[in-house]
Parts: sequence; structure tokens; C-alpha cells
Amino acid sequence: MGQVHAAAWLEAGAQVVAVHSASLESALGLAARYGARVCSNVAELLEQVDVVDLCVPTHLHHAMTLEAASAGKHVVCEKPMALDLSDARAMIAACEQADVRLFIAHVVRFFPQYRAARDAVQSGQIGSLGVIRLKRAAYQPRVSGENWFLDSAKSGGMILDLMVHDFDYARWLGGPVARVFAKSARASRADSPTYYTLSDFALVTLEFKSGAMAQIEGGWAYPAGVFRTAFDIAGSSGLIEWSSDDTNTIKSFLEPTNSGSAEVGLPLSILAEDPYLTQIKHVKQALETRTEFLVTPIEALEALRIGLAAKRSLETGRSISISEVN
Amino acid sequence: MPVQISTVKLRVGIMSFAHVHADGYTPLLQAMPDLEFIGFSDTDLVRGERAAKTHGAKHFSGHEMLLAQKLDAVIVCCENVGRRKLVEMAAQAGTHVLCEKPIEATLEDALAMRQACTSAGVNFMTAFPMRFDPSIRLLRDRIQNGDLGKIYAANGINHSEIPRHHRAWFAQKALAAGGAVMDHTVHLTDLYRWLFESEVTEVHAVVGNPFYPNQIDVDSAGLVTLTLENQVFAGIDCSWSRPETYPRWGHLKLEVIGEKGALEVDAFAQHLNVYRDRLTWQNWGGDPNRAMLEEFFASIREARAPSVTWQDGFEALRVALACYDSNDAKQPIRMERTSS
Repeated sequence: MGQVHAAAWLEAGAQVVAVHSASLESALGLAARYGARVCSNVAELLEQVDVVDLCVPTHLHHAMTLEAASAGKHVVCEKPMALDLSDARAMIAACEQADVRLFIAHVVRFFPQYRAARDAVQSGQIGSLGVIRLKRAAYQPRVSGENWFLDSAKSGGMILDLMVHDFDYARWLGGPVARVFAKSARASRADSPTYYTLSDFALVTLEFKSGAMAQIEGGWAYPAGVFRTAFDIAGSSGLIEWSSDDTNTIKSFLEPTNSGSAEVGLPLSILAEDPYLTQIKHVKQALETRTEFLVTPIEALEALRIGLAAKRSLETGRSISISEVN
Repeated sequence: MPVQISTVKLRVGIMSFAHVHADGYTPLLQAMPDLEFIGFSDTDLVRGERAAKTHGAKHFSGHEMLLAQKLDAVIVCCENVGRRKLVEMAAQAGTHVLCEKPIEATLEDALAMRQACTSAGVNFMTAFPMRFDPSIRLLRDRIQNGDLGKIYAANGINHSEIPRHHRAWFAQKALAAGGAVMDHTVHLTDLYRWLFESEVTEVHAVVGNPFYPNQIDVDSAGLVTLTLENQVFAGIDCSWSRPETYPRWGHLKLEVIGEKGALEVDAFAQHLNVYRDRLTWQNWGGDPNRAMLEEFFASIREARAPSVTWQDGFEALRVALACYDSNDAKQPIRMERTSS
């Protein structure tokens, strides 16, 4: 994700001046491409920048955000915001106290089809919301080196890392959530001898305070290279359907190459502007004009809360009232 | 009284045209060469006359009059509430029964239906046509062949428009005993039990009426999560969430996820896009009802139990009813195995 964001910052008209990574090799590669300086630690990097963009594993978000805030730097941070609510609250408080901005990169809100659907809902085109279905199903992330995605203590697992996108989107559509119920393959197969390499699949049911309901499907269970997303948003006077299966603008029928697929399976969107660029442009503009971000830190915290409620439902087998998760 | 009829044409009737499926069964029955479609009974005379005209079929204004025709088999197509009465009448007349789903509104009534058929020695088959869909059958073969490896989960959609414009009773509590959950949960529940050969141990459901508030006294939406004995969990969206402008009534889709990937079935994908005043999807694929009816008649000719039983209908009904309990309790409901 660091490479995607770096390219977007450059395209948005910013300079990528400093890079830090646990992997010196990837830091050197990125630095060479953008003419940036490689920093051996975060403190050194913070001296060089106006904004720091944290594309690090999730368990590091909290400490690095606090460090950046105390250095007086604005923070862009990958989703999920943190692994628990107290960390998320501390991040918000630290940025407020230091008078720096905090943006959590819930990039799905910048995908044009998701935005168009939300606009249609907001403008009343389908009446009041009834049933929302969101699907995000991919393959197990693969990274060179240690695969922190598969370590729940570092990534929060598939529920937090992947499904938090749709928790945020669902809440953006439907407002506050009242109850959460979840089932997952990993939770169901906790006694499996291959548990730690098990791919995952989950169904999460949300009940909104409004009375609307949502089913969120997430998966790291497809073969490498398969990434499918879909939504189906039904209201009292209309329906919005979209599926990545049906909206390919280009199809290829080529001999296979050796290069394989992207490491964590980013969706291919053949668009005039990549949504990751749209997101970074928005962040840059909001910082420059001192206007509000499309995703507020509180909203990112609430998406995390839904994810944590889903995990608690998996642990207890119960339906969880959102107020139980503090 | 087991019936012995191998060369004689089966005499078949339909009890009540309340259910929309009667309109689908009738032409299939009329076209089957090895049976005689005697006609149908309906105490709603207006509906009966209209159906008689539409299908060129004989209308009996009372169920006794139809059963007096010495039938071998009937299809019970009345409202959800009241199937027991018609099934008991049919059984007492020595007539085999194919019964619409959900088989009744309460477990007590469903149990009485079994009792009636067992004592009379007639077959009771539950109308679960999706088991006869060729894509679903291929899915089952591939699951059983181990092509998906260990199964993790499934997610299915059986949503539709509200059926009230075809038959008002579907959205009336007194006759349907529920809405979308009663109407649609049973199909996918039955498929999950059949595909995975495992019983449901837990039911979680969120049920509501977000689509027709103040218009109907039943639910119009439900999101259900089942857990089976073999740890597979499975979603069902049974909602009446398709607007009346949708190109077709709805669909049945099902994805099964296992350790080797996933298989997805869209059972009604074989359609034409037809544009007139608005887009409609017109089926060019098969009709699983045909194979279901053939199995019903084959079970009678071969004097054996049908492949879809009363028990299958009963288990699906238990799950549908548990959905309402779960929604009331705001918690998942444990299901004990039926002692049978």
C-alpha cells in the first residue's frame, strides 16, 4: 500500500521526501523511485515532512500516530484505524491536542460506484433503507517476508483488515448500528490442525438503529488473483445492484505470464482516475483548505467498533449490542 | 392402502389454486403423457373460474368433489394455514400428496399431516423443486466429490418481489402465518441440509418489515444465519426486496466456500433480456418443477418413499419458525435434533 500511496501523493502534486520501512529493501526501492531519503527511524522521518502516511501493519498505527502527533505532523493512516477502541481514542485525542489532522484511509468511499450508490440513497432515490448486502471476497494476502496479515494480533484478521471497509460503508449508508452477529470459518474451525494457515470467510449481520439490516460477506478464501465485490441496496421504493462480476470494462484472454498477481489483491478499476488517487487528492485538498475530511476519525472508530463487535460475537456465539463494545 | 398402478395412467388433481405455483404445475401436468389431469378444486369460485379459463382445466367447487374422482395423487396448493385440513382429506381418500412449502404454519399441524398420511399409507412429498435443478445437482456432486475440500460456509439469496399482486394472502398473517421468512427461508434451508447432509443446530435471524411499513401485517425482510452439525454456517437472504419494476420475480443464488475455493450457482441465470415497456427476464432454461413432479409420480408407481419427504418439509418449517424466535430473543436459537 506504501507504493500505491506514494504514487498518488506524487500525482496529487506533493513531494515524497522521506521513507521509512522495516524492510530496507522496499524503502530503498521507493526512495529511488521518488527521489526520497531513506530514514532509519520514524523520528528522523518526521523531521523531514508535513504529513506522514502510515502504511504500516495495523498494530503499529497507534504508537506511530502518537509519535507523529507529538512531532506536530498531520497523519494519514491505513484502515483499520487500530486494533482496539482505547488505541483509537488515544490517536484521536493525541491529534486533537497537537492540533494536527488525522485521516483514516477508508478508500472504499472514494470508489465511484460506492459513492454513486451512496448519493442515490442520500437523495432519496430508493426511499428508506431496508436490506443492504455488501460483499468483499478475495484471497489470502501474500506479502514478501513475514505475513503480518495472517497474524490476528497484528492485523486483526480478515474481519478487521478486510471487512472494516464495508462496516464503514454500511454505516455511511445506514447510520448507527444497534446489533452485530457474526460467523467465520476461522472461528468455526478453531480446533483445526491447520488453523494458523486457514483461509477465512465470514458472514456478519448488522441491525441498524433505524430498523434497516445488512449482511456483510468477507472472504480470504478464493484462489490467488480472484477478488469480487458487490453491493445490493434495497429500499422502500427502489433498489441498487452492482457487482464487480458484471462491470468489467476490459476482458483479457491472454496466455498466462509468470509475474502472477498483486500481493494483496487490489481491485482493478479501469477508471479515468484511480480511487486511491482520488482519496489522496481529497486529503491534500482538505489539509490545504482546512476543510473536513470525507471520513472523520470518529467514523473510522465506529467502523472499528462494529468489527470488534463482530469479533466478540465470534468469541461468544452471541448477538452483540454495539453498546457492549467500549 | 398401497396402490398398485404401473401401466394405468395416474389420475391427478390440484387442491386449491391459492398458491401461485398451481399456475406453473397445471400446464406441466396437462403435458405429461402418462397421467390424466382430472382438474382442480377451489372454494374461491371467482379464482376457480378464472383458472379454469386460463388453463382449460376442470374446476371443482369443493375439495370433496375433486377427491371423489378416485384420484391417485393431488398437489396441495392452498394457503400456508390450512394445508393440514386438505392433506388430511386427501389422505383419508387414499390419495398421495405433494404439498407446497412451508408445509404448514405450526409444528403441531405438520405433525398431524404426517400422522394422517402414515395411517392412510399414502406418500407425502414436500415441494422443494430446487433439489431437482441441474446446476444445484452438479453443485452437490462436486461438493460430495470433494472438489471444494472441507466446506467452510455457504451464502444464499432467495429474494423476490412481494407476491401480494399475484396472491394477496402471501402477505396476510392469518393465511400465511408470516411473510418473507415463511415464504423463502425453507428453500435454501432444505438445500443446505441436502447439500451438506447435516442438520441445523443454530438459527440466527434479523426479521423486519422495512419495505411495506403500515401496509402489511407480516415481515418483508429477513437475514438468516444457520449453523449445521458439521460446523458449516450458511446465510439466507429471504427478503421481498425486489421492487415491482424488477425484470423478474427475483432469484435463487448460492455460493459455497471451501478450503479449495468456491462454487456459485445462479439457478435462474438462463434468461433473455426482453425490452418492451420495461425490461423483463424471460426464462429459456428448464423448469425444475417438471423433474420434481416426475419424482413424485415415480415414487407412486414404484411404491416407494419420495426423495423429498415430510421430514424435509418439517425440518425446514422448524427453521423458519426459529427465525422469528431468534428475532424476538435478539439471539441465536439452539436447535435440538428431531427424534424421529
